[in-house]
Amino acid sequence: MNIPPLIHVVDDDDSLRTALLRLLESAGYEARGYASTGEFLLQPPLDRPGCVLLDLRLPGPSGLDLQDALAHHGVGLPVIFLTGHGDVASSVRAMKAGAVDFLAKPVERQTLFEAIDRALQLDARARTNRLEAESLRERFASLTKREREVVDGIAAGQLNKQVAHELGMAERTVKLHRAHAMEKLGVTSAAELGGLAERFRRLSEE
Amino acid sequence: MHRSALSILNRRRRGSDLRASRRFVRWTAAAMCLGLLAATGELASSNPPLTNVLVLYSNGRLLPANLEGDRGFRQAVGSLDAARVAPSYEFLDAPRFSGPAFESIYAAYLRDKYASQAPQVIVAVGEDALSFIVRHRDDLFPRIPIVHAGVGQSFLSSLAQLPADIVGAPADFSFEKTIETALNWHPNARRLIIVTGASRQDHALEAQARSEVTRFANRVQVEFLTGLPTSAVLEALSELGSDAVVFTPGYFADGDGRVFDPVQSVTAMAAASNAPLYGPFTTFIGVGVVGGSMPSFEAIGRQAGEIFHQILEGTDPGRLRLPRAVPQTLHVDWRQVRRWGIDEAKIPADAVVHFKRPTLLEAYRTEAVLLSLLVVLQGALIVGLLIERRRRRSAEETERAQRDELARASRLAMAGELTGSIAHEINQPLGAILSNADAAELILESGGDRNGELRNILADIRRDDLRASEVVRSLRSLLARHELEHRPFDLGDAARDVESLLRAEAEERGVTFTLAVEPIPLPMVGDRVHMQQVLINLALNGMDAVAGVPEDRRRVDVAVGKPGNGMALVVRDRGHGILPEHRPRLFEPFYSTKNGGMGLGLSIARTLVEAQGGRISVESDGSTGSVFTVTLAAGDRGTRRVEEPA
Repeated sequence: MNIPPLIHVVDDDDSLRTALLRLLESAGYEARGYASTGEFLLQPPLDRPGCVLLDLRLPGPSGLDLQDALAHHGVGLPVIFLTGHGDVASSVRAMKAGAVDFLAKPVERQTLFEAIDRALQLDARARTNRLEAESLRERFASLTKREREVVDGIAAGQLNKQVAHELGMAERTVKLHRAHAMEKLGVTSAAELGGLAERFRRLSEE
Repeated sequence: MHRSALSILNRRRRGSDLRASRRFVRWTAAAMCLGLLAATGELASSNPPLTNVLVLYSNGRLLPANLEGDRGFRQAVGSLDAARVAPSYEFLDAPRFSGPAFESIYAAYLRDKYASQAPQVIVAVGEDALSFIVRHRDDLFPRIPIVHAGVGQSFLSSLAQLPADIVGAPADFSFEKTIETALNWHPNARRLIIVTGASRQDHALEAQARSEVTRFANRVQVEFLTGLPTSAVLEALSELGSDAVVFTPGYFADGDGRVFDPVQSVTAMAAASNAPLYGPFTTFIGVGVVGGSMPSFEAIGRQAGEIFHQILEGTDPGRLRLPRAVPQTLHVDWRQVRRWGIDEAKIPADAVVHFKRPTLLEAYRTEAVLLSLLVVLQGALIVGLLIERRRRRSAEETERAQRDELARASRLAMAGELTGSIAHEINQPLGAILSNADAAELILESGGDRNGELRNILADIRRDDLRASEVVRSLRSLLARHELEHRPFDLGDAARDVESLLRAEAEERGVTFTLAVEPIPLPMVGDRVHMQQVLINLALNGMDAVAGVPEDRRRVDVAVGKPGNGMALVVRDRGHGILPEHRPRLFEPFYSTKNGGMGLGLSIARTLVEAQGGRISVESDGSTGSVFTVTLAAGDRGTRRVEEPA
């Protein structure tokens, strides 16, 4: 299922915010506007794909503060900064903090759309990764301890005999655990198993 | 003594006592008589006998000449002599009374009158008196010394050789000098009119005149008006023109037989005459003659008095030290000089000038000099002050121009500081315009009837465009060359105009900025741009001050209002404040507490505020922040405001 992404426009300038919303909607995006970071954070964290268009200088917590807050809450929406100032130091800080892009007002629509699309892509991929990570976690969580150990050994490239020796089990027991794990994990070959385990390990590290 | 004597008399009424008192009274009376005799004897023996003097005048008692002469005589005689002298004054009253018959009556009168008090000296005044005395002397007062006075040399010469005891200083009564003066002072004169009278004395004067005037015959035409009735004389004189001068010794009697004092006759003549009048006697000065050359009667009297004094001292008349003849002096009536336009340069320095009012300059020379000195000084002072004023004006001009330049430089610098926020203020509406335009384009591409939305978009675009141009406009007025204005404006509006700029700047720096304007009219008269400049300056200073403090203190609050009669602009910050040692010098130029600050902002601010009659001051405790207050006069006095309909 595909929930269309929602773009959040946070800018205290009513006129500009309205214009941006109009533009985005005319372009086919779904967008919502907020006059301040506070107003935005009052919304329950949405689990909907999208991105945030953020004015750098806002009353109250700044755009950068919001970015930190979002990250802290585990709301992984990508952030695009808009600014009327063109201040170099701020832009560097913003990019280092993980902003997707840093745009100057007035912003050309092409530039804006490209940035948004890029952000949405990032967001989509992030979501997919997150889902996948979630699913893997579930699947791996269903393994018993012994099965898990066997999987780790095979993922490391060891033969059955080596795993048996390592874990102090009979080779027949290893083969049995391997079959059960592969069935639980939904893989049909050792290579697949190895690949899956590797992916799991990587995703867990992110 | 009298009382005691009486009481003695009263008390002692008895015989012996009475006898005693009678005796007492007799002795007292005798003593008193003796005393009186002695006193009289004293007086008699100590005083020399009084000298009888007979002063015989030729004319009447009140003849002015006689009065003057008498004054001079008495001056010379002095007070000492006056005590020893018993003068008697007799008057022949010529020409009214004359002739042998009168003379013999008069001589008899004199003889009888002075029989018992014969004069020891006789003073004969005038020719008539002298000739009378000479004629009757042997008869009246033989061998009595005679002092003559006021007798002309020519007359003396005409008499037979005078005996040695008839002495005197002749007076020069010649007319020549007077006539000479008259002709000299009126060079245009062609005619010399000489007026004399009908009496015997007048005839003598006429004869003198005729003889003396011959030498002028080649210069002027000489005409005599002799023995005419006064009316004829006056008429003739009134018909004279500018080519004539008149000389007259006056007359005692005219052709009608009317009798005058010569002064009276001259007065009448001077009033009627159309030509200038000259006469030979001092008594004429002041009645209308221009002047003349004459011996003063007073001098004549004085001379006679001196001679008399010597005789009184006992000098033998034959051995007298006679004074020289009484000389003539030129007398002139200044008023007549002016009247006839006589050249003042012709008047000799030794002339006696009568009736000349000293000019103010002459009378008050010192004062005049001082005054003119004062005036000159004052003039110099005025010129000096005017020059000073011009110099000061031009200096003020220069100063004003420089101040305006400096104020502008400061504004430009501030604008430089504000570029970030300026850019922001403009980019906001520009951004909205662009996105709106893009949206409209997409809407149009999508087709369909969305005109309402398009209309909204266009309205928003217009509004944002105006917003941007507002920013540019207020910026332009801030940056442009600006000369000090003095116009009414509202302080609240002026502050609100720059609010967005300051707010943007504050956001840029992460500072909270508030502007509170009292919601009432805040009219004042002055320079709007300068006031905005001051506000921006103070606000930016405040933002600088809170740069390093914790977030809850990073605020600058501005209040504009009308506490009381005046208006106030207050900028408060919560920075570190200003240390006491900096406070006195804070508004000085080139004094800065900031790193890299030029120190001009506050001094310019103060200049601008004070140029509008306001004051700027600061309060700070040195730790919790500062408050800058600008007070100004409200400018709504006398301003008529149109009441807006509610």
